[in-house]
Amino acid sequence: MSASRAIEPAPRWISCPECEASCREVPLPPRAILRCKRCGVVVRKSARPTSLQPAWALATAGLFLVVLANVNPILTFDVVGNTQPNLIVTGVVELARQGYWPVAALVFFAGIAGPALYLAAVWYVVSACCLTRRWPQLPRVLKAAEILESWNLVPVYALATVVAVVKLEMLGTVAWQHGALWLVALSLCAFLTGQLFDHRMVEERLEKLT
Amino acid sequence: MSPSDRPRYQLACALVAAGIILYIPANVVPVMTMTVVGQVEPLTVLGGVQELYDSGLAPMAGIVFLASIVVPFCKLAALSWLLLMQGSTAWQRQRAAVRRIVHLVGCWSMVDVFLLSVLAAVGQLGVLASVRAEPGALFFAAVLVCTLFASESYKPRMIWQTKESLPT
Repeated sequence: MSASRAIEPAPRWISCPECEASCREVPLPPRAILRCKRCGVVVRKSARPTSLQPAWALATAGLFLVVLANVNPILTFDVVGNTQPNLIVTGVVELARQGYWPVAALVFFAGIAGPALYLAAVWYVVSACCLTRRWPQLPRVLKAAEILESWNLVPVYALATVVAVVKLEMLGTVAWQHGALWLVALSLCAFLTGQLFDHRMVEERLEKLT
Repeated sequence: MSPSDRPRYQLACALVAAGIILYIPANVVPVMTMTVVGQVEPLTVLGGVQELYDSGLAPMAGIVFLASIVVPFCKLAALSWLLLMQGSTAWQRQRAAVRRIVHLVGCWSMVDVFLLSVLAAVGQLGVLASVRAEPGALFFAAVLVCTLFASESYKPRMIWQTKESLPT
């Protein structure tokens, strides 16, 4: 065996996050990215976020915003003097009352419970990493966060509200309430949390913890 | 395909088949009735788009049309293609890209369900204005749930599991 071979560190193999092919980890020059040779997906960036704190902050803010967006009316609709304020949950209740509870359940899960649980799961895992605490069930909660990521549908709900307002303006007077602001803030927060939440880094930190 | 992924593949096939069948009533049966000052209007998904377009809101109509008719259709078509190509070595990179796009864009088809929810919430002013959900909403929601779970269940690694790559 040659001397240079002995100095070289053993190659590390990492699995592609998408197609699960084994990729050889090579030291990356700055601003370079490592792509999977098979499917072309980005496996590793040299410019990775160095801290989980932005995600922690956003998830914490997001949890407060979930409450605010759900207890404040989003819009009021006014037809000939009859006014009515609306929360996100009003639609769920009304659909259930009309007997369409599967649709109501879908709206409840995708519009209220999904985002709340997603943010809570991210918050739990990231808090444990940042505070270096070994809280129970961390790998399971991380898995749950991965699954719930595609149920984080607040931005879609916000768009639907805009379309609804446009439609209702033909029929009566619609006024935005401050719940709408919280809803927009929550959309942004939920979206950015998803972007900044680095699964691999969390996994690495959790491995160190246990 | 690796034996452990076979149930996933079968589940995805079943969900896509169910989605294709449900797609027809979802678009034919009205999803809601809007009663405004005595005028009763049953609306299908396409009818809602038509109404937005007629009232001069073409961009809005475009968004709803894309999100609630084009996206579910393309999603079902794309997923069928992926499932039919399973095990073949052709177009693998393209199939991986198509799956990524389906996963990314898919959730926006929920717009119409949320729209119904907001309208139903507002439409409780008795005779003046009321919005009622109709059976079409159930079919539409079912299509969305089928496609969401199908794309969740079909993992990208399965594109690369071909006869050559796996020892049998």
